[in-house]
Amino acid sequence: MNAAAIMAELQPIFSDVLDLPGLQLTPQSNATNVEGWDSLAHVNLVVAIEKRFGIKFALGELRDLKNVGEMVDLIQKKTER
Amino acid sequence: MNDYRWEDLSLGMRVQFEVPLTEDMMTVFAAISGDLNPLHLDEAYARQNGFPGRVAFGMLTSSLYSRLVGMYLPGKRALLQGIDVEFKRPAHIGDVLTVSGEVTYLNEAYRRVELKGQIVNPAGKLISTAKIRVGVHE
Repeated sequence: MNAAAIMAELQPIFSDVLDLPGLQLTPQSNATNVEGWDSLAHVNLVVAIEKRFGIKFALGELRDLKNVGEMVDLIQKKTER
Repeated sequence: MNDYRWEDLSLGMRVQFEVPLTEDMMTVFAAISGDLNPLHLDEAYARQNGFPGRVAFGMLTSSLYSRLVGMYLPGKRALLQGIDVEFKRPAHIGDVLTVSGEVTYLNEAYRRVELKGQIVNPAGKLISTAKIRVGVHE
């Protein structure tokens, strides 16, 4: 799955979990520039992403992520394994 | 009180317990919530509106999901993070409710367990179902 396809899958997940129907997700989106992306929402996002892509994240992988673009890269790596 | 650690939990793990729904519980919950709706408190009114008796507060029966996670699964180490409840049918005073929960997902990174909860009445009919999200602390 390429990065654009992964972004397209993430868009409705973020909109749903954060309850932001009009959210326009970009690779630069992160917890500082997206409304409501707090620590508990982050856990909800991670779980929703794991389920959607059938993958499991390690805490160390998640700690290093700076934005959605890096999350997309990580998903791409994990789904290609 | 159970004291399951993260390492003790596994998919499909299940618990179940029974709770009789009493008059006292209704009185206390009305006082706590301030919900004095006659459907819950007035027997005649409930019967006039087609129910066999006073309807138990949905949030009272749903509070048993708190007992489910805080006392049973995982128990002591639980921190309730979220719950989505669907009400299926009313419960009534005198019903012995059976509350159950089953582990449906485990997120290792944040030690979050998800449970499928349900409450059934003595006839085995669903009172409510719940998707429950619980953190498990050290």
